[in-house]
Amino acid sequence: MKTTHPEKTPVRLKGVGNSLCVMLDPMTSADHLRTELEKLFTGLKNEVENARVTIDVGAPEGYDELIDELGRYLKETFKVGSVERARRKKPRSRRIAAESKVDRLRRRDMERSWHDYRTDVLMLTGRVRSGQKVTARKHLLILGDVNPGAEVMAGGDILIMGSLLGTAIAGHPEGNENIILALDFRPTQVQIGSYVAAGLPASPVKVTEFAHVENGNIVVENYLEANPFGRLPWPQAR
Amino acid sequence: MDGKIIVVTSGKGGVGKTTATASIGAALALEGKKVAVVDMDIGLRNLDVVMGLENRIVFNIVDAVKGRCKLKQAAIKDRRIDNLFLIPASQSDNKNVLDPEEMVRFSSMLRRHFDYVFMDCPAGIERGFENSVAAADEALVICTPEVAAVRDADRVIGLLYARSITPKLVVNRIVPALVERGDMLSHVDMVDVLSVELIGLVEMDDQVVVSTNTGVPLVMQKTSKAGAAFRRIAMRLNGQVDLPIQVPEASGGLFKKFRSKFGLKK
Ligand SMILES: Nc1ncnc2c1ncn2[C@@H]1O[C@H](COP(=O)(O)OP(=O)(O)OP(=O)(O)O)[C@@H](O)[C@H]1O
Ligand SMILES: [Mg+2]
Repeated sequence: MKTTHPEKTPVRLKGVGNSLCVMLDPMTSADHLRTELEKLFTGLKNEVENARVTIDVGAPEGYDELIDELGRYLKETFKVGSVERARRKKPRSRRIAAESKVDRLRRRDMERSWHDYRTDVLMLTGRVRSGQKVTARKHLLILGDVNPGAEVMAGGDILIMGSLLGTAIAGHPEGNENIILALDFRPTQVQIGSYVAAGLPASPVKVTEFAHVENGNIVVENYLEANPFGRLPWPQAR
Repeated sequence: MDGKIIVVTSGKGGVGKTTATASIGAALALEGKKVAVVDMDIGLRNLDVVMGLENRIVFNIVDAVKGRCKLKQAAIKDRRIDNLFLIPASQSDNKNVLDPEEMVRFSSMLRRHFDYVFMDCPAGIERGFENSVAAADEALVICTPEVAAVRDADRVIGLLYARSITPKLVVNRIVPALVERGDMLSHVDMVDVLSVELIGLVEMDDQVVVSTNTGVPLVMQKTSKAGAAFRRIAMRLNGQVDLPIQVPEASGGLFKKFRSKFGLKK
């Protein structure tokens, strides 16, 4: 195990809060440790009263007497709430701890990954007409139609809640992961990142379709059938 | 008088702006309104030819705008219709002789003298277009059932909205039989894309050419379907907004009846 006591001082404080973890070198004499603890706890003043204190001697077992003695001293002198021995993580429990860290991250992702996310969506209503050009730094959402001869361009995804008849350029300049979606998908041309597609056969009936890059080709699919994002395990900011 | 300036425009050339200007102008004049039709196609004038007035031209719009003549001198009275006046284009000048500011000033004078002023806009979206829309209160966008015409009309509609002018759409040169067979864009599809108010549907009609050659205004020819359609457009412009829009139908009603009977008509 790598040493946790790199400094000269035999007593160190690991965390301040309602739980204080004191790391100490059990090879030092009890008296010396007590003096060091006195300095440390006097400096913390009111924070120590009723606090939960754990003592870490750098080993999972042994030194029980020393811990008891120091504990009694701390309770009497500084009125700390409780004193326990720190539980050293055994290899297996460390893995569990690592997993629980993933769990924590996952739970945070599932429940609030978007909370502090400043999203960049340009949302427009209306019709983009021939000769007009709309450019969005990131995602572009249009409640309306894009006419033939019009161009919509985005650094991210393009979502058209209406008919896409003009040209759509998503993932500009090189976002090959981005998509172009329209409730009525009949574009003149689409570009995603570095890929270009034109002359896509129009579906006989109006269905919601989206274009994305797959194996170096732009592929257009029925959005509800493919449901590309419905498979993601939890909502994620995009 | 506080007249209305209406620009007739299309983007694409040859779709019927001049025909529409002459016909709607004549129809409104026949309704008793005092109307001026202005040929803004400087360098390529032809509204005068369509109206059979080319031999009466002495002064033109450039003269009038530049103050080289009085408005009265440049406005040529129609041969048949009393309240109808033509302000012809100059054939020798270039479109850049006029600018939008001059047109705004000139138009305020036109408003004082006429109930309706129609600006026959040249094709394109350059200076001639700018000059024509500069002072316009309303716009008629003429479009034929062709993909290219729709594309250009769409462009022009965007430019008009950018100038706070709400355009109205005229679909010209419709061949009902072709539309029914699915070989020609239907006005429904056009309105879908252009999404502006439709003000009239005009059929392809041989009488248009006949009228140009004889000088008898289209709207005075009783048998002309196009003439009737332009008359109805004029009435709608003149406040009869509830006048229903008639959809041109192919002759041979029997076939149509069968289709609707069997529920095939869409
Ligand atoms: N409804 C119609 N039926 C048959 N022919 C038509 C109709 N409307 C227009 N035309 C014909 O189409 C041609 C073009 O019409 P017109 O000159 O009015 O178009 P324009 O838009 O003014 O053209 P430009 O852009 O050159 O000014 C003319 O020969 C005209 O006679
Ligand atoms: Mg013309």
